[in-house]
Amino acid sequence: MNEQRESTDGTSTASGSNCEVNERLVGQVAVVATSGVVDMITAPQLEDAITAALAKSPAGLVVDLTEVEFLASAGMGVLVAAHDAAPEGVAIVIVADGPATSRPLKLVGIADIMPLHATLDEALATFAG
Amino acid sequence: MIDSLSKTVSSAERFERVGVPADSTAAARARDEFSRWLQGTFDLDPNKSNDLVLAIYEALANTAEFAYLSSGFRGTMDLYAAHDPAESALSVTVADRGRWRTAPSYPDDRSRGRGIALMKALSDRASIQTSTSGTTVRLVWTGIRRR
Repeated sequence: MNEQRESTDGTSTASGSNCEVNERLVGQVAVVATSGVVDMITAPQLEDAITAALAKSPAGLVVDLTEVEFLASAGMGVLVAAHDAAPEGVAIVIVADGPATSRPLKLVGIADIMPLHATLDEALATFAG
Repeated sequence: MIDSLSKTVSSAERFERVGVPADSTAAARARDEFSRWLQGTFDLDPNKSNDLVLAIYEALANTAEFAYLSSGFRGTMDLYAAHDPAESALSVTVADRGRWRTAPSYPDDRSRGRGIALMKALSDRASIQTSTSGTTVRLVWTGIRRR
């Protein structure tokens, strides 16, 4: 698969809320990968990266939360807003697995709104073919 | 202002942060300190550990975002956690002297408003008391044992 790294967003260091967001294209699918803490301080970084990714008119968008250690409702809100704002036919899928991410996403029903996958490969496979 | 007095207590039985500024930075700091106290004091599996930290953060974040919106001043919030070894129960209280929004301002915006649902889903018992003098969130977890 031809992988093209597009940009790297900045890092926020306010009080333990460290978050890094990367955005890249894997074929026609945009991948926004974030790590660290996604809370009310850092959620706007994720939102900006998703907005930038969608602006490139990808075939789909994967939000990879594999490296996220803490995900608060502010971050979940960004995911739902992205899902609701995405153009018709552009699916957004989430990669999340573990106590900090997939567990709370399932508890509040986000997993019913958009698909959750345990690995990036699994998520990318949903766009193949 | 009396609210500016702050107090910090951490022991095996209790964790207290009184007079924490109701803002996002102080909420994150209180969350991280609470998390370290939890890890050092109790024998918790990763699910329970994240449940506790996320639930108390949602309470702090709600206060930081909403409690003092209409008050015109920057208020504070208090975080108390107490462990009852006999009951293996951990009770956590987050209190402020402001007002949470009673009705959602964005009823059609489903990207917001999951904080209270999370607190309820993540704890064994949750209650939110609102009065003219403030809002108090009480969260209780059972099956919490010391290391």
